[in-house]
Order: sequence, then structure tokens, then C-alpha cells
Amino acid sequence: MSDVSVSGYDADPGGGQLSADQPQEAALVRPFLSRMLSMPTARMDDAPVADDVTEAAGVRSYAMTSGRAQGSVPLEIESMLQLTAEGAMVLERLQFERGRVATLCQAEILSVAELSARLHLPIGVIRVVASDLIVDGLLQAHVPSFGVADDVDLISRLIEGVRAL
Amino acid sequence: MLSETTTHNELGRDVSGRNESGRDEPGRQDPAGGPNRAPVPVKIVVAGGFGVGKTTFVGAISDIAPLTTEAAMTTASEGIDDRGYVSTKTTTTVAMDFGRVAVDSSIVLYIFGTPGQDRFGFMWNDLVKGALGAVVLVDSRRIEDSFPALDYFEHRNLPFVVAVNSFDGHVFHTADDVREALSIAPHVPVVVTDARRREAVKETLLSLLQVSLEQAKARARKG
Repeated sequence: MSDVSVSGYDADPGGGQLSADQPQEAALVRPFLSRMLSMPTARMDDAPVADDVTEAAGVRSYAMTSGRAQGSVPLEIESMLQLTAEGAMVLERLQFERGRVATLCQAEILSVAELSARLHLPIGVIRVVASDLIVDGLLQAHVPSFGVADDVDLISRLIEGVRAL
Repeated sequence: MLSETTTHNELGRDVSGRNESGRDEPGRQDPAGGPNRAPVPVKIVVAGGFGVGKTTFVGAISDIAPLTTEAAMTTASEGIDDRGYVSTKTTTTVAMDFGRVAVDSSIVLYIFGTPGQDRFGFMWNDLVKGALGAVVLVDSRRIEDSFPALDYFEHRNLPFVVAVNSFDGHVFHTADDVREALSIAPHVPVVVTDARRREAVKETLLSLLQVSLEQAKARARKG
């Protein structure tokens, strides 16, 4: 076990509270990487000092998210995502998971769950990546209307629709 | 993936007169809900023990072949999947199958099958938030597998129905027997279903949606 995993992991597993301007700090406390760092594929030299955390995207899931398990935009697993016009303009410059998520969301409106399934990434990772893209104005989210379960009209339409399937 | 291609084509046709890459934001141009408007996503959860037929149930009604997604389990997982070389927490991923049904042009229904064991309870909070309801799928020969799901949905006040799956067209116990064995409250429907048959799955979903509708109406009356 390397020295980077000795301290810090258990004290604060919620790495999401780290401020965005401290990527080095984030790299040190990625909560999901404690076991991965000891694996042969882990880039021991790079992980603790990565100066651009997005570079880690090609390596492993949560490196992409700087160890964050939650994004700043709340997304449900059924939230639908769509590329914005701004996103389409910069699409070719987006890399790794950001690029993959954005590309799929350009072709069609997809839910967080579908992106997770099609990119073979955990739902938590998609949430964080998509949340970042939304904050940057590149993705637009269609979250379920608030209180779907209380929407008598919507449920009535749903019953009609299911009956007609 | 047929339905997804269809969706794409519909959208593509709809935006064909506009900037090709920069699709207009849905709803802005057409607040009444034209084809360019993103559909409202709604979800239903199917819970039950391993092998009870959740994925079959989802697949019988879904427009697409059921997809598998993973949720990372980030809480302590004592005794489960112990990797040996980490002293404290482990990260376990749990697979979850789901399907998608384009109910009409404005509603897309997601149906998530979720493992029914106690140790997966952490996933349910996430899944159940905003869900219209749940189907607890029961193999009447192993009814104890459905206890955790029943307890959970009862406590959360989530609309649910109990669906006894028949295997090869064979039901081992009647709905009444199962209701009694599981101490199901009178207002909760107990139905017999066949996870392989689309019509049976449809009926099961409709019985759930009726409960969801009644509860929504009751809440609206309370105001």
C-alpha cells in the first residue's frame, strides 16, 4: 500500500466538498481510489501530483471526477440530457468522458441511466460529468417535473398511454 | 435500439430546417409540447429477489432490450466482496437492469429492476426518489425474498403492488394465499402476473398506476 492512501481517506470520504481550485488536493483524497492506487495499472507517479485532473479521465472512472461522488447539479437517474447549441460548437474539443457524454447527448436525448449503460460507467460518474457540463452550459437537463407522483393529470395520461401500448 | 433511432429521426426531422448542429432548446419554441419538446421522464421500480424475473418483466414491456447500469456502493460493506488488501472501505458495484417505454410523445417511462436484498437498500433511496411506484415481484415458493422490499415501500409510503410471478404458466399459490402469507394490507393489490407476457406486465403496471393515481388524488383533496 502506498503512502498516499495512509491518511485522509476515511476522515472525509465526501471529497465533493473540496474547492475546485485545488486539484492537487483533490487528487490526494479521491475516496474511491484507495484500493486502485495499489493496483499495477495505477500511475503512482502521476496520481498524487496531477496538475490537470481531467487528464486522468482516460485512466479510471473516479479520477475523472476528482474523486467527487456528487455533482453540483442534482440529477436523477431518469433525468434526460441534451447537448446545447454551445455544447455542439465545442463538441470536438471535449475530451474523454466529457466528450463521450456530450457526443451521445447530441444524437439523442438520453437519461443518466442510459448514458451509464452505454458508456459502461457507474451512474455516479455520469452524474458528476454531466453536472460539470451543465454548469459549463454545454448540456441541458430535463429533470422530472417536481412532484411527478402528485401530478394527477400526468398519471392519468400515463395510464391512457400504457393501456394503448 | 430501434426506438432510440426513431427518436433521433423524429428530432432530426423536426430540426431539419434549423441550424443542424445547434439544436434549439426544447420547449422554448413550442411550449405546448410539440415533438421537439423533451419528454417527461417517469419511473417505476421493480423489486424482488434474485431470479424472480425482474429483467424478464422489464424486457416484456420495454422498447429496447434491457440495459444494465452500475451503481457504486460507497458505504461500508462488511463481509461483502472483501478484496483483502484494503483495510476499511470497499467499493462494490451493483448491476441494475432497466428498460424504457415511450408511452406517448410527451412521456417516457423508465422501469428499473433492482435487487431486493437488504444489503442493496442503499440504492433504493436513489431509485425511489420521484418514482411513481413499485412492483414487488414475488416467487411464491420464496416469499421471504420479498420481505425487505415490502418493508421498505410500506415505510416510504410509496404506492406499490405485489405481483406473483407464474413460472411456466404455473402459479404455486393463489393471490389470496400470498396476501395472507405476506400480511399485505387490504388496500394494496396482489395480482398474478407472467413476466414473460407483455399483456400481463401491462396489466400489472396498470394496477400499480391506479394506486398511484388514487394516492395522488387523495393528496390533492387534502390540499
